[in-house]
Amino acid sequence: MVAPTTAPPRRGVLDLTDFLDCAGITPEDGLGTGAFNIWSNTFPAAELPARGSDVVVDGVPFRFPAEHPSGADNVRCARQLVPVPRGRYDWIHVLAAAERRTEDEVLLHFADGSVDAEWLRVSDFWPETPARFGESAAFRCTRLHYPRHVQRNMGPVIWRRRVAVPREEDLVALRLPDNPAVHVFALTLEAA
Amino acid sequence: MRTSIPELVTWRHDLAGCLHACAATLLEFHGVDALEALGAGWGFYHRPGGLERAEYYFPCRPGVSLLATLAPHHPVRSAWRRPADAARGWAEVRDAVAAGRPVAVAVDNFELPFRPAFQDVHSNHLVVVHGFDEARGTVEVIDTVPPAFAGEIPLERLSASRDSGNEVRHDRDMFFTAHPIGNRWLDVEVDTAALPEFDAGFVRAAIVSNVDDFGNSPAGEGEYAGLAGQRRYLAEVVERYARGDEVCDELFVVAGAALAVVALHADWLALAGRRLAVPDLREAGRAADRIAHHWTALRILAARTRDGTTSAEQLTRRHTALLLDQERLLDELTRVTARL
Repeated sequence: MVAPTTAPPRRGVLDLTDFLDCAGITPEDGLGTGAFNIWSNTFPAAELPARGSDVVVDGVPFRFPAEHPSGADNVRCARQLVPVPRGRYDWIHVLAAAERRTEDEVLLHFADGSVDAEWLRVSDFWPETPARFGESAAFRCTRLHYPRHVQRNMGPVIWRRRVAVPREEDLVALRLPDNPAVHVFALTLEAA
Repeated sequence: MRTSIPELVTWRHDLAGCLHACAATLLEFHGVDALEALGAGWGFYHRPGGLERAEYYFPCRPGVSLLATLAPHHPVRSAWRRPADAARGWAEVRDAVAAGRPVAVAVDNFELPFRPAFQDVHSNHLVVVHGFDEARGTVEVIDTVPPAFAGEIPLERLSASRDSGNEVRHDRDMFFTAHPIGNRWLDVEVDTAALPEFDAGFVRAAIVSNVDDFGNSPAGEGEYAGLAGQRRYLAEVVERYARGDEVCDELFVVAGAALAVVALHADWLALAGRRLAVPDLREAGRAADRIAHHWTALRILAARTRDGTTSAEQLTRRHTALLLDQERLLDELTRVTARL
């Protein structure tokens, strides 16, 4: 159940800890402890914010994934239903990366029972690949982790993008797409 | 002797791989606009017996060359040369480059110092060779797959990568291993006098041909072609997976080729829309991108069948959505071409 709130802050970070299911960030002394993509490449922890820390990207606050018992630090999209603090929102800001460019529908669930589909579009995290959907690069690393070495001339990217909430009703949850190519690191809701 | 073919166009598409990258460089060398040629065709063809564990695998009908398959609306063709050994392999590539023709050569990333997989992971990859210096024992190579590389490497390294047995060593050797490189290289021919103009007539004819092929594509015994073949293939592969068969490598490679084709066609439709000032074509290009994005998802779902993470239901749901969007786009393309 979603606890209603009367006055959501202008921009509220969403705690995704319960949904984290993929370890995509590793330290240099633990290269084999994650697998962001099917080849077990990972982002370098040394070039990203500390776990659980608050960061501001392009003026938007995000909470980087907190420590998780499994080591997971992102949500691999698989139709998870994510409750949000009930409220009116204009935008859902997203930190995400994809195993090759893709797009899919996010289903927005409203308090009155209505459901709208909106698009979540994410470019490839792979180095030397530009944004295709007009995202900004939230974190552009300078190295890519392989399970047995660090590739220092390849920089993977976590993108910042946003999903619109056009319906002027209270939002209560969002259903992520069933698309394992999309990984979400953080979500922030911007009030209407 | 020392020679270098200068000012080659380097090219990469985010949803395609080394095959299209190399083909683009070679086509541009011959005066063919890469996107105009490589993006014009869109279809589906699969022949299980023809599947190869190579990054540059692409399904070709028997008797139709790889380049003619990639660029079916242009007067181009190619031939795989399969030299008997490494010495003969280098002699043939050397002769082509000395004669002023860059070529694509198959390599094992495990042997190439500029690849992240160097001395780690085997893979069956493709790069362009466009120069050599016999006194220094080096060759000039272009590889636009990240990390992009354009420069000299020792000939002995290239030869080792071309002569590799591409053995499986460990669990990261997926999809493109256990398939000897065999010193093969790709020879390309272009009938430059017959290159088409990229005008409304060409665009219309290419789209009409593509749509017709989706609707009426002949398929021989064991082949899958056109929209019906695509639907049948995806249904059958899910059935096989549901009863416990291994489909990971096969579906991953099939999806990778299908993804590249429709992604390039999306950009080609957008290009046609801009050149011809037809907004409907740009919109069709965006709809084609949507098909590509389905294939991205399906490709990763396929990879995750290896450990059973992906369910048969997920595969079915995705390919059903893909086919619905694809049918809608084919209908729209028919309407658009009628107005061109």
